Amino acid sequence: MGTADEQSTLREGVIAGVPVSVAIAVGVLPLIVLFVESIGPGLGTAAYQEAVSPLYRGTLLYSLGVGVVVTGVCLAIAYPVTYWVAHRCPRRYRLALLVTLTLPLWLNYVVLNYSWVWILARGGLLNTVATSLGLIAEPLDLLYNDISMFIGFVYIYLPYVVLTLYVSMERLDYRLIEAARDLGATNRRLFLDVILPSTLPGAIAAALIVYARIAGAFATPAILGGPGNVMIASLITEAFRQYVDYGFAAALSFVFLAVVVVALLGGATIPQVREELRQW
Amino acid sequence: MVGRVRLALTRGAGRFPGTVVALTLLFLYLPILAVGYLSLSPNAQPTVPIDGVSLRWYGAVLTDSRFVRAALTSFGLAVVSAVGGTALGLAGAHTIVRSQLPSRVRGAVALVIGLPLFVPTIVVAFGIGVATGVADIGFGYLPVIFGHLFWVLPFTTFLLTARYTELDDQLPEAAQDLGADRRTIFLTITVPLLRPALLASALFAFALSFNEFLITFFLAGSGITTVPLEIFGKVRIGATSFLNAASVLVLLLSALIAGGASVLQRPA
Repeated sequence: MGTADEQSTLREGVIAGVPVSVAIAVGVLPLIVLFVESIGPGLGTAAYQEAVSPLYRGTLLYSLGVGVVVTGVCLAIAYPVTYWVAHRCPRRYRLALLVTLTLPLWLNYVVLNYSWVWILARGGLLNTVATSLGLIAEPLDLLYNDISMFIGFVYIYLPYVVLTLYVSMERLDYRLIEAARDLGATNRRLFLDVILPSTLPGAIAAALIVYARIAGAFATPAILGGPGNVMIASLITEAFRQYVDYGFAAALSFVFLAVVVVALLGGATIPQVREELRQW
Repeated sequence: MVGRVRLALTRGAGRFPGTVVALTLLFLYLPILAVGYLSLSPNAQPTVPIDGVSLRWYGAVLTDSRFVRAALTSFGLAVVSAVGGTALGLAGAHTIVRSQLPSRVRGAVALVIGLPLFVPTIVVAFGIGVATGVADIGFGYLPVIFGHLFWVLPFTTFLLTARYTELDDQLPEAAQDLGADRRTIFLTITVPLLRPALLASALFAFALSFNEFLITFFLAGSGITTVPLEIFGKVRIGATSFLNAASVLVLLLSALIAGGASVLQRPA
């Protein structure tokens, strides 16, 4: 009997070992190599000092700031949207609507970013329509600057926020809303006292998932941003492509990773937020 | 139907949430429709409105040798990721749900597999890029394939974990009592019961891999090009009708695959 047990443990070990080795070889080892790069040669902190020097600290803070602001805008849009889908939409259209709102998650984000070039360019759709309607005299410069990058970020990350927030919103008991309204609550009170408290864990989970992806995004600033929109990923890519100073880019990666992990762990200390994060 | 939707829009909290939904749908799909419309332009540089309707740029994309090569590479990578990622995901899901290994070990397995979900992709991609350099593997198919497998692994694992937990574990036990060996149990009970989830997992992995950009960008080197890399390279040069037609084809393909996957994923 003992040998059968041992055999079964061995088998379970092998089954577990295959995916875990891939994850370790491609995920954990590279992080260790990167860490060695960031402190080498000779166990120094020079790379970290450079990574947090005012110039690059600015880039780090700018990237995180963009992440936070875009996440806030996504939440502001996702609240009314998920509320309507979960509690107002006729049941038979609900699933189709949810799929339509989250389908872009599965589309190619390089292409999705690119599609805004045609809306925002000087000869693009928005300028053409606005000038021909006489709303503006001259085409506006909407492309390759803060505006286009910001729109691109909201465009790419809104579906993530909608999907995550929807789970909480659907769980919210609609009778609570009706009861509050019967008792004369205004929309403002209804939102602050009924909707927000019970959906906050979902909102925090969505924010934790999305802000780091935005802060570390490469494609959106590269396609829609201007020369001034330098973010963490642009610095890392630049360092990698020019085969110089891996140490600095590695240190920058770890500073960024530390910020992300600390925020996640902070979020995960709240049990309800941890529940919401589980679905990812 | 329009009347009912309008009624639904105006009930309760007023028009506000419904209006935001309508604007959001417009926001999400207007750019895609714009690219679709402009892809029909007969000119290399479309103008608004387009000067006529033509499919010539679709023909140009499908006969462009560079683009076709990129499409074949992407397709091959996506198939490998779909099959390999689902097989690895099944092993991972089995370990997390069914294994007799201590729960501490199973938790660690889930954490390691889930790494790409919380480590920023740019850090993962850079790490793999530096590590392949250090290990003298360099650029090429091997790092790209492993990068893709690693990238799809958490999605396939956790999708299969969800279905695996719902399986009735009395069935394999009953089969065992009746004398079936593990292989028979796995092939005649577990796999058939998981089949819709396995298919969904393969399709999602296909879509993820087909659209993956950043990891490939770091690992491909100059020899390999995929559809996202090809489009990214062209976007930086300038927007053209060729690019619009290519974009529409890519969007259609990924929408079809994701649509198929979400139909399968829903338990019947």
